[in-house]
Amino acid sequence: MKKHLLIIGALVIGLFSCKKFLTVDPPYTQDAENYFKTPEDYERALVGAYDLLQTSFMSLWIGEIASDNAIAGGESANDSQGLHQIDAMTHGGINNDLRSVFRWNYVGISRANYILENKDNIDFPEKAHILAEAKFLRAYYYFELVKFFGDVPLVIDKRLGIEEVRTIDRSPKAEVYAQIEKDLKEAYPVLNAVAVQKGRATRGAALALLGKAYVYQNKWSEAAQTFDEVINSGSYSLHPSYAELFDVAHENNAETVFDIQYTGLEGGSYGCLVCLEGNAAPGFQGIRQYNGPVYGDGNSYNLPTQDLYDFFPAGDPRRGVTILDIEAFIAAQPNPGAITYAIGAGGHTGYYNNKYIKRQGEIGLPDNDLTSPVNYRVIRYADVLLMAAEANYHLGNTAIAQTYVNQIRSRVSIPGASVNSLDKIYNERRFELSGEGHRFFDLVRTGKAALEIPGFIPGKHEVFPIPQVEIDLAGGRWPQNPGY
Amino acid sequence: MKSFFLLLGVSLTFFSVAQNRTITGKIINDANEPLGFAKIAVKSPKGNALSAVDGTFSLVLKDTASANVTISVYGYQPQEMSIGSGPQELTIVMKPTVSEKNEVTVIGYGEAKNKTLTGATSKVDGEDIEKMNMSRMDQALQGQMAGVNISTNSGSPGGSANIRIRGLGTFGDNDPLILVDGIVYDSQGLNALNPSDIKSITVLKDAMAGIYGVRAANGVVLIETKNGAINRKPTIEYNGYFGLQQTSKKLDLLRADEYAVIKNEMFAMGGQAMPFNNVNVGEGTDWQDQVFTRSPVQSHNISLNGGTLATRYSIGLGYFNQDGIVGGAKSHFDRYNARLNFSTDLSDKLKLNSVLLFSSEGRNTLPENGIGSVLYNAINAFPTEPVISPMGNYSYMEEVSDIINPVAQIMNTYNWNKAQKFVGKEEFVFKPLSFLTFTNRFNYNVALVDSKVFSPLVWYGEGKYANTALNAQLESPTVELATGVEIDRGAAVYEERNTYADLSYEGFVNYDQVFAKDHQVKATAGVTIFQREGNSLNGVAYGIPNNDVNYADISANSTQGGFLNNTGSWEFTERLVSAFLRAEYAFKEKYVVSAVVRRDGSSKFGPNSRFGTFPSFSAGWLISEESFFKFKPIDLCKLRVSYGISGNDQIPNFAYRALLNGEGVYVFDDVITQGVAIGRPANPDLKWETTRQLNIGLDLSFWKKLSFSTNYFIKNTYDLLFQPDVSALMGSYGPGGYPPVINAGNVSNKGWEIELGYRSDRTKKFLYEANWNFTAVNNQVTEVPSGVDYLPGAAFSVGGDVATRFQKGYEIGYFFGYQTAGVFQTQDEIDNAQVVQEGAKPGDLIFVDQNGDGVISFTDDSDKTNLGSAIPDFIMGFNVSSSYKGFDLSANFFASIGNEIIRNYERQQPYANQLSYTIDRWVGPGSSFDVPRQTTEPTRNNVFSSFYVEDGSFLRLRNLQLGYSFSKDWLRKIKMEQLRVYLAANNLFTLTKYMGYDPDLGSSSALSAGVDYGMYPQAKTLMVGLQFKF
Repeated sequence: MKKHLLIIGALVIGLFSCKKFLTVDPPYTQDAENYFKTPEDYERALVGAYDLLQTSFMSLWIGEIASDNAIAGGESANDSQGLHQIDAMTHGGINNDLRSVFRWNYVGISRANYILENKDNIDFPEKAHILAEAKFLRAYYYFELVKFFGDVPLVIDKRLGIEEVRTIDRSPKAEVYAQIEKDLKEAYPVLNAVAVQKGRATRGAALALLGKAYVYQNKWSEAAQTFDEVINSGSYSLHPSYAELFDVAHENNAETVFDIQYTGLEGGSYGCLVCLEGNAAPGFQGIRQYNGPVYGDGNSYNLPTQDLYDFFPAGDPRRGVTILDIEAFIAAQPNPGAITYAIGAGGHTGYYNNKYIKRQGEIGLPDNDLTSPVNYRVIRYADVLLMAAEANYHLGNTAIAQTYVNQIRSRVSIPGASVNSLDKIYNERRFELSGEGHRFFDLVRTGKAALEIPGFIPGKHEVFPIPQVEIDLAGGRWPQNPGY
Repeated sequence: MKSFFLLLGVSLTFFSVAQNRTITGKIINDANEPLGFAKIAVKSPKGNALSAVDGTFSLVLKDTASANVTISVYGYQPQEMSIGSGPQELTIVMKPTVSEKNEVTVIGYGEAKNKTLTGATSKVDGEDIEKMNMSRMDQALQGQMAGVNISTNSGSPGGSANIRIRGLGTFGDNDPLILVDGIVYDSQGLNALNPSDIKSITVLKDAMAGIYGVRAANGVVLIETKNGAINRKPTIEYNGYFGLQQTSKKLDLLRADEYAVIKNEMFAMGGQAMPFNNVNVGEGTDWQDQVFTRSPVQSHNISLNGGTLATRYSIGLGYFNQDGIVGGAKSHFDRYNARLNFSTDLSDKLKLNSVLLFSSEGRNTLPENGIGSVLYNAINAFPTEPVISPMGNYSYMEEVSDIINPVAQIMNTYNWNKAQKFVGKEEFVFKPLSFLTFTNRFNYNVALVDSKVFSPLVWYGEGKYANTALNAQLESPTVELATGVEIDRGAAVYEERNTYADLSYEGFVNYDQVFAKDHQVKATAGVTIFQREGNSLNGVAYGIPNNDVNYADISANSTQGGFLNNTGSWEFTERLVSAFLRAEYAFKEKYVVSAVVRRDGSSKFGPNSRFGTFPSFSAGWLISEESFFKFKPIDLCKLRVSYGISGNDQIPNFAYRALLNGEGVYVFDDVITQGVAIGRPANPDLKWETTRQLNIGLDLSFWKKLSFSTNYFIKNTYDLLFQPDVSALMGSYGPGGYPPVINAGNVSNKGWEIELGYRSDRTKKFLYEANWNFTAVNNQVTEVPSGVDYLPGAAFSVGGDVATRFQKGYEIGYFFGYQTAGVFQTQDEIDNAQVVQEGAKPGDLIFVDQNGDGVISFTDDSDKTNLGSAIPDFIMGFNVSSSYKGFDLSANFFASIGNEIIRNYERQQPYANQLSYTIDRWVGPGSSFDVPRQTTEPTRNNVFSSFYVEDGSFLRLRNLQLGYSFSKDWLRKIKMEQLRVYLAANNLFTLTKYMGYDPDLGSSSALSAGVDYGMYPQAKTLMVGLQFKF
């Protein structure tokens, strides 16, 4: 009898320490819980983390449409309500496009976290670089979020359970930036100076992104130092021809600090924009029902404003590269009468975003509105120079600022300008970078948004509202951004 | 055989040496028959003897003093007597026991006296199951118990049924936990269990089931198999029947001439040429007669039961064979069973119980219960077409691509399913003290499930979906292996072997002691460890030679290099570890309380929720034991209450884990680079579905003859599995991503149960017994997670709208569509109607404007409404049996009231045949107010509406049996104990308004119950049976 009692007693005790017995892996199945067993596993997961970069076309649109640079356009105001509301500064907590930004960047973060969560599984020589790339990507996605939404929940090195999601608060902006800085500082010393493969994060990309993060926090001396490293690395130079900068043919040139890579070799559908391997922006921004030379037909989104057109001095060649004046273009063609296009009910300015537009010869597979092979230039060396100029100006190094601005201007063969105010640098940014998704965020960080954007309410519109449904799904504990 | 037992009896006789005296004697019954296998036990000095087959015994006692002996034999009242000193020659006459229903109920890891039972249970004896003459235990259970609803998935041989205890708690798995002698028995595998092997079935319906913790939420069915008895002579029993089956119903379809007239009218109204120049085409082909057939069923069971001083055994052999009423041998089930229940006392204190159940079953099936099934085709086939055309081929009916010749379909269907099952346990019961029992048992349940499908090259006519050949010459399609390399695909064979193995250990201790007379304390504590493994290997091979079923094996394939052949496999393991504790206290059998707590750990759940604790509590008050209770006619009055929490672990394996099925693709060096990404994120919090149940019950017994038991219960199920919208932070909205499986959503079941039973006095010549049970369950979905409006269920028609839903505020799987309000009679009526119904013409169905906006919307759901559900308002069973002299008569009725059925077997195609209600169609003003016009032009008459919903209420005579037992006096002469012959009928009649084959229409999925695709109906069976025992 004692024996029996002992056996049962032992079993009872054993039962409450039998977690191991109950941990059963699905046999012969590689799933997320038993992954990261080989270097290839890490590499493939990293590809998955890169994938979400391709959703940045939405950042590009909103960065332009929200600003004074562009209107939403499109087929009708109902077609892409979210963008039209942002255009009119009437956006609120219910906005599909903002929700996409919120969701997609967190997918990127969770994929990067998935790698970093498992960073200690095995060791192999290439691991450090893979982890550094993952950190770069995580920093990139968090930078997008903090730019759009300000304080955002910070999830690091782990995946969340459904219950845990409801226990996480929004982290103050400063903490998010601190994490971005930390990740990038850990990443850039490891990353290759020259990418082994086109599209890989490089040391320069990480440094430039770090410098940009400093700029957004007005940390001028850190920014200046960081940009100095990029500039002094000698890896980058301005591409001689501004006009060629946005061609597929001249992609990944010396001016490319970080490009998001797209291909036209895989089709796509409107049902899953997040699945695309092509760039959706050129097709969306193309000329509606266009039938003629040079360009392809598109959806007339993100149309430059008259304000932007007029902003350029007549002699600045960058105007023509940035803005397509459709009527002028048609009139200049050999047979203008044969060229037709349509005006969308979503708005028309007569201008199209000429940097990212569907061009013949750059058309992807069906549905080719969505599958442009044109890369998105996230950080160009010109941008680095201008940010460096801005930082140096703040630090009182106006001469350095002047040099950088003049480099920019001389590339397009226009005389140097005297950089005697910050506005000069800001203006130069608009001349140089319009249509590339920076304008709204530049206006906000420089405090100019209320002046330039009709309907912009200071204290409110600096950040976008957190999608209300996301607040609800996270347990309703996050405060909405002020004013929304 | 007899001499063997004689030897056994003698050898077990206790002998002693010193100062002996011998007592001899004979044990007989009041009819002067000798009783063998009687135990003659002497208390002091200790000694036992067993009587021989002729009743004689011999007992050697050590001393000469008088002794007290107890004589016991199976079937008779134990007798105590004193034997005087000196040698004796005795004749002992035994009195038979008054047969009483078992007073004890198994409750899981123990048993309870019915009198002090505090939970809601129902029990059926094996003989009541066996008597139904059905191939499956669950079918036989229909109408036998309150709170237990059995619905039939298919009437085909080997077709399954669903056991639903107290309503539907989930849209997932609603099957109860079934335990056969304590061994987990999968409800899908019930085909293997021979109803003749069952001694009793007990269903634990309320918190009493809590001892089974995370598996108890859908109720627990405890099945005991037959066992022997000590001191019982070997008895051989045979029970067999032979029956003929036919369909219980044929649909009332259009004859050829009616069909021709209506089709002409349809085409004319659609502005098309009329297809029939001559409508005098007579009756045409009755396709139902072509597919239905009369087919045999037979069952033979033989068992051997008995026991000696220390050993009990029961051995059973069974054979069952049934052909289908559709397709005959192409729809077939057979089963062989062997059973051994063996118990022996290894010592005074240690007992071994051993059970082994073996079964081997075979089944052939036809396509059934779906679009494309044989009956679906038979219903919709054109009556104007002959079975075989003048050209000599099976007629093609090419006008409708998805209706094929059902006779040809039966011919071309080849499949074989086999299952071999070994289920058993070795149980050691150690009883060191009278109040303490330790039980250790090792259970196993191994199933080998094989199936094979042969797909010959077939041609059903141009454009038919089921064609596997290119043309009527049965040319094979080719497959291009590489550019320019093409090979014939040919006939194919698919083979599969699935193996399942459950192993479990259970160890528990039972304590039962009475203190100071009035205080009874019982306790049970134990642990169980359970593991299930499953794996499958399957393969498909092409190029079966000569398109011939005789070569239907992978080994016979002749494709070049086996290039087209393919294989697959899967494997899983699940584990469950549990500990449980039950404490009971009864004071004077008047106040009883019981508490159970079980802790379960399961590999199915996420790491954060791997362990769950399930408490339950119950109490009973026997009011009739109180001194103030003086109402004589009532001999038992008991009030019961129970409340408990239990779980349902029948959720998918590994659903908590993240899958790498996302899309992770990026472009490096201009090359599309495939990576890996999580598709469905992990949910480490994933856990069981939780059920909280309150039960209040009252048991009454009048004059020990009439029993009444009623229960009211509230059963709420929480944490159903969903994939709703989740926070962006989960990262599930990337390419190829979808939300994790989470626990959310609630369902409520509230209901009443009544069981009423009457038994006449056992001593009278005319014996009768009747019982009636009633169950009403109110089912409602009480919560779906935010971000989910409803879960879609079954679709209506081919590619039609979703007709059933899981939605808050409604019954699970309720029907959702347009309500009709008759038929438009004139254009005037349409023009002047308050509600605009786009496209309506006279003769079209009138739909009800549910949202009151004055327009019937066909583009959204705003004018659709609740059209009923498959869940009955109440169900009833009525079972009556009587006997007079040698004759006995019994009947079992079952009724289901208030359930609706969707008529979904009508192919909405111009040429498809139709039910004869279309004869009463609208043809002009005033001609019909309920059946719309028939036309080929597009109308809204075939969207899902109440026109396609029928009342599925029915009353069915499940079993009627008339038997005659030969008199014992006569049987004695031929050394027989019992001989009975009987006539029986199953499903003799069904009262229903339902037009379809069978209103007893179940589905294993809660969301597609009540959708009739032309169900394989249950057979009407006439049987002759024979039972004997010696």
